[in-house]
Amino acid sequence: MRVLLVEDEPTLRAQLRAGLQEAGYVVEESGNGRDAQHLGETEPLDAVVLDLGLPLVDGLTVLKRWRAAGRTMPVLILTARDSWHEKVAGIDAGADDYLAKPFHMEELLARLRALIRRAQGLASPLLQCGALSLDTRTGRVALNGQPVSLTSHEFKLLEYLMHRPGSVVSRTELTEHIYAQDSDRDSNTIEVFIGRLRRKLPAATIETVRGMGYRLVAVA
Amino acid sequence: MPGFSEPLVRGRQPAWMLSLRWRLLAATLLALTLALVLAGVFLSGLFRDHVVRQFAGSLTAQLDQVTARLDFDPAGQPLLDPQTLSDPRWTRPYSGLYWQVDAMGDSPRRAVMRSRSLWDSELAVDDDALADGAVHRHEIRGPDGARLLVVERTVRQDTLAAARWRVVVAADLRATEAAVDRFNGVLFASLAVLFVLMCAAALLQVRLGLAPLGTLKQALANVREGRTQRLEGRFPREVQALIDDFNTVLDRNGEVVARARMQAGNLAHAIKTPLAAMAQEAARTQVQAVEPAGLAALVREQVDVARRQVDWHLARSRAAAAQGMPGALVALGPVVEGLLRVMERVHAARRLGIAWGPPTQDVRFAGELQDLQEMLGNLLDNACKWARGMVRVSVASVGDGPVRQVLLVVEDDGPGIEPDHRAAVVARGARLDESVPGSGLGLTIVQELAGLYGGQLTLGTSPLGGLRAELRLPGS
Repeated sequence: MRVLLVEDEPTLRAQLRAGLQEAGYVVEESGNGRDAQHLGETEPLDAVVLDLGLPLVDGLTVLKRWRAAGRTMPVLILTARDSWHEKVAGIDAGADDYLAKPFHMEELLARLRALIRRAQGLASPLLQCGALSLDTRTGRVALNGQPVSLTSHEFKLLEYLMHRPGSVVSRTELTEHIYAQDSDRDSNTIEVFIGRLRRKLPAATIETVRGMGYRLVAVA
Repeated sequence: MPGFSEPLVRGRQPAWMLSLRWRLLAATLLALTLALVLAGVFLSGLFRDHVVRQFAGSLTAQLDQVTARLDFDPAGQPLLDPQTLSDPRWTRPYSGLYWQVDAMGDSPRRAVMRSRSLWDSELAVDDDALADGAVHRHEIRGPDGARLLVVERTVRQDTLAAARWRVVVAADLRATEAAVDRFNGVLFASLAVLFVLMCAAALLQVRLGLAPLGTLKQALANVREGRTQRLEGRFPREVQALIDDFNTVLDRNGEVVARARMQAGNLAHAIKTPLAAMAQEAARTQVQAVEPAGLAALVREQVDVARRQVDWHLARSRAAAAQGMPGALVALGPVVEGLLRVMERVHAARRLGIAWGPPTQDVRFAGELQDLQEMLGNLLDNACKWARGMVRVSVASVGDGPVRQVLLVVEDDGPGIEPDHRAAVVARGARLDESVPGSGLGLTIVQELAGLYGGQLTLGTSPLGGLRAELRLPGS
């Protein structure tokens, strides 16, 4: 999953980036409102963590502009001001959740997971696709209740697909959301990992749609 | 010049409008000038009229004399013996007193007879409607271009005669005009002096009237420079009310500043304790090379403590700053709806049913928007956190007569709070259940804020099964 992190305080930003990367996210980051706005408008993103007190353009304005431009990715706002007045303003500007500073990293990650899941219309933290289940809270994958062991790349792939069951996901989309900008992105890499995944999952779970991409299918 | 350096923002009003002194003086001067000019014109005209009338009166007497001396010869032609007229001016050329007889009728002829004073000139009197016997008055130019007053009358020899004759008597107006001029001179001088005196009086009056403003300016300077805390001094009734209001604002400001200072001090004190604990443990870890995991746990714990302290003190300072500005009214409907939007987002995973019926009439809270949001936000958040599936919100306007209140009720179907524990929950920071996240200060803040507005928070049991939080606040 690809997340945009917008925080102007460098130490906190570095800590948040580390925390998010550890949790398996690909992190884009920015320290000011102007760049953040641009990134939010142009990059493919699964979620945004947005601090409100930003230089150049303030957080709420950036958020309003994203929504006006039709960007619907879930946004979690970070704020030092904990008043209800600010919360109402944030939600009305288009935020999906807020977190007051200081906060625990676990809480940020939990809320982010929930936001991403709900953005795909998935109500439960336990994702199901046929006999396959993925618990977003623990990261455990099970097939008919039996745990399945996956590498981190395989997990990221499966996680992305399980958030969009039944939808066709192109190779490009997978590459963009799972690999960081500077890593070696070879279109072959995806194929290799899809192949590896297929071996661990029941046959026909991941369907290839010629010329378009891959689709996760429920198999009993 | 007053007003010249006023900022453009005020628009380019004329200088006199921007100064009380100038306004008063301008109005007075205008009125004075108008009144005195009118008086002068009126008096002057009245005098002239009077003088001319007098003159005309004496001239008419002369006309009567001449008419009486007028005789007719057997041919019907007028005859007048100059010896019979006593006034020597009749005979002296260009004396200023003249008589003349004109022939009227089909072939009018001027100056059939004339006085010696007229010499060889004629009095050119316009013809007008001839009414026998009536005296007419004219003003014409006579010999030497002098202005003359003319009185004339038309006569007939007797009622049977056809020929009509006009007897004209004229006199120089010079003397009269001199008198009028003299009068006008005196009048003008007097009015001028009067004008000056009245202007001086007006100036004095304005100065006396505006003097309290000077005192006020001084009092304000004293406050601004810190010599006094309030506006001191007695002021006239009209201004005293304003002064009192201003002093109230100053007092309140003073209170707010004092409270803020105290809050900041308290907060600093409260934060330093966890900081000290962390510093201590860090030093110990460094020196004794103790396992850093212990330090990590302590830091987390102290950060929590610090955060609670910050929340607590921030909330208290918000409550303390609540001024309850008079006249501010906040409509309840939109505020509740805004907060419910937040609740829907934040508590989305819980899939709660929130029953909210917008009020039928206009229910308004007499206070600040942020304070209302703080109180309601905490109540709603509480309800949503603890509810099993259902939350109900209602607002209404209650009270009879002029004192009106708003009644806000938030209910949930959660576990509720035992009557014995209710007081403890609302007291500072106490929490009944640590499993649900939050700083546990919500209800305390609600009660404090409500108290500041003279309202009340009451906790009870809801028919839904959980807590019923009832909030009464001033409103309309």
